[in-house]
Amino acid sequence: MKWLALVTAAVLALVTAVVVGPAGFSADATTLGIIRDLRMPRALLAFLVGGSLAVTGSALQALVRNPLADPYLLGLSGGAGLGAVGAIALHLDGPWVLPASAFVGALAAIAVVYRLGVVTGAVLDTRVLLLAGVVVGAFAAAMMGAIMAVSPAAELRNAFVWLLGGFGSASWQSVSVFAAYAAIPVVLIYVAARSLDLLTLGEEPATYLGADVERTKRLVYGAASLLTAAAVAVSGTIGFVGLVVPHAIRLLWGHLHRTLLPAAFLLGGTLLVLADALARTLFAPVELPVGVVTAFLGVPVFVLLVRRWAR
Amino acid sequence: MGVTLTLSQGEGVSVLRLGFPGAWLAAALLACTTREAPPPPRWVDDLGHPVGLAHPARRIASLSPSTTELLFAIGAGNRVVGRTRWCDFPPQATAVPSVGDGLNPNLELVLSRTPDLVVFYASAANQSVITRLDGLGVAAASVRLDRLDDLPRAAGLLGRLTGTATRADSLAAAFAARLDSARAARTAPVQRVAVVVWDNPPIVIGAGSFLTELLELAGARNVFDDLALASAQTGIEVIAARDPDVLLILGNGVPAFARRPEWQNVGAVRRRSFVAVRGSEFERPTFRAFDAVRTLRAALRQGRAR
Repeated sequence: MKWLALVTAAVLALVTAVVVGPAGFSADATTLGIIRDLRMPRALLAFLVGGSLAVTGSALQALVRNPLADPYLLGLSGGAGLGAVGAIALHLDGPWVLPASAFVGALAAIAVVYRLGVVTGAVLDTRVLLLAGVVVGAFAAAMMGAIMAVSPAAELRNAFVWLLGGFGSASWQSVSVFAAYAAIPVVLIYVAARSLDLLTLGEEPATYLGADVERTKRLVYGAASLLTAAAVAVSGTIGFVGLVVPHAIRLLWGHLHRTLLPAAFLLGGTLLVLADALARTLFAPVELPVGVVTAFLGVPVFVLLVRRWAR
Repeated sequence: MGVTLTLSQGEGVSVLRLGFPGAWLAAALLACTTREAPPPPRWVDDLGHPVGLAHPARRIASLSPSTTELLFAIGAGNRVVGRTRWCDFPPQATAVPSVGDGLNPNLELVLSRTPDLVVFYASAANQSVITRLDGLGVAAASVRLDRLDDLPRAAGLLGRLTGTATRADSLAAAFAARLDSARAARTAPVQRVAVVVWDNPPIVIGAGSFLTELLELAGARNVFDDLALASAQTGIEVIAARDPDVLLILGNGVPAFARRPEWQNVGAVRRRSFVAVRGSEFERPTFRAFDAVRTLRAALRQGRAR
């Protein structure tokens, strides 16, 4: 029943996003082209990114046993932003410069955070990982600030607007690349669902209960950060979905990751598709940053859920 | 009278609270207020603030490229002692020491030029700096220069503040007259244009910008002239639906986004119908606007012929 509701909501959201738009809905060639080449890939990309962020958030919250964990916690958004700003400051030109440089920056941040996370020895210490993520993010933000202050490129302001997130650059090309790429880490995280259940009890109990804790931590951390890096590259940093959707599903559904992960994927995707549809249409022809809308939609829903759960 | 009364009551409280230094300060303040009331300000800037300048400015720090250019145009350029790093016209302006950014400026650098007048772009972001300057006795004037219509008024204000009112007013009057006649002579727009200043996310120029006026004077129409803002984030879908004949690019040639698949639904991108212009006359409203219109008209005509 709950699954039916979630799938129905997802399908309705996708259909709405394809039908609704500032150019309206009619059967002339221009509008059909807009629907086929702009709205459909855009809705699909929003769905895939929203789902990926929600899955990443669920996995990381279990991994670091911290309810505040979200996909950007581990220094990724800082690294991605630094990559994008650096590319613009260096006047790199080309159709894929922004996503490519953001992806490279995110990968660099992941590498540094991971190296710091294992610095205490052979084990991956999730507390050190958290601190390393925050520190690397802060360092990257400082570097971005310095580049902004010194560089004469007036376009840098626009790099920040891009980093705020949005699906304006969606195409069938970016949807297919992202879908093919994201499938691997999403499946890897799903395979680790049982180990994540055990990990939420604590690393020691999980070991006693037969989980390969070290392997799980590395696998989930690697998959989650690679997934987020791709999400940032195609859509900037969209807050809130990865933080709140996992909690909402836990309140409604319980804590078992085998159901939590796919349900979070569906709800995260649905939320982001609706948020993007509103971002496009609410103040058309002006478009809102989608992160603004996710917070507007998500916060009231979340408050209602928490109130119901607390009662 | 009422003002004096409130003041002395207020100071009385601080005497009680602060003890001797407070009393001394209060006495000094009262002495000031009673001995010579400051002359009423003769000029009010574009944010409605009085400009406390008793004589024509002798050392001016100009914190926006448009006011720097305007000061040079009205003959006050030799008194500009500080500029932003973006001020690049006229070429003589680059000889003036730069104090960095114009929005949220570095107060220490500005003061190191010992200005008696600091000219700002009218923005709430500068309010705290203006308050600090007030406290230090340095006059500040905020000038709103977004559209061509702002130029005559801004020239008039700066002319009065710098004692070059005669030249400033005649330039302003000539420009306003030329603007009026150019608008009256305008014919129906030939081309529908979108000015895309950034591609991801798409940012376009709206009616709040002088660029829309330049386009109209050049015989074209901005398809986003219903947007009151100077610029706004929009979507490719909106640009595709409004289907401009030409995309105006501030820069060089065909932009990189022309090769991205999602942009191919915009007819002008598919046809590679780009018109590129560059130069500081397209970055700010200036008295060079009619040169800019001529350049733009030629570029649009060339684009049409292609």
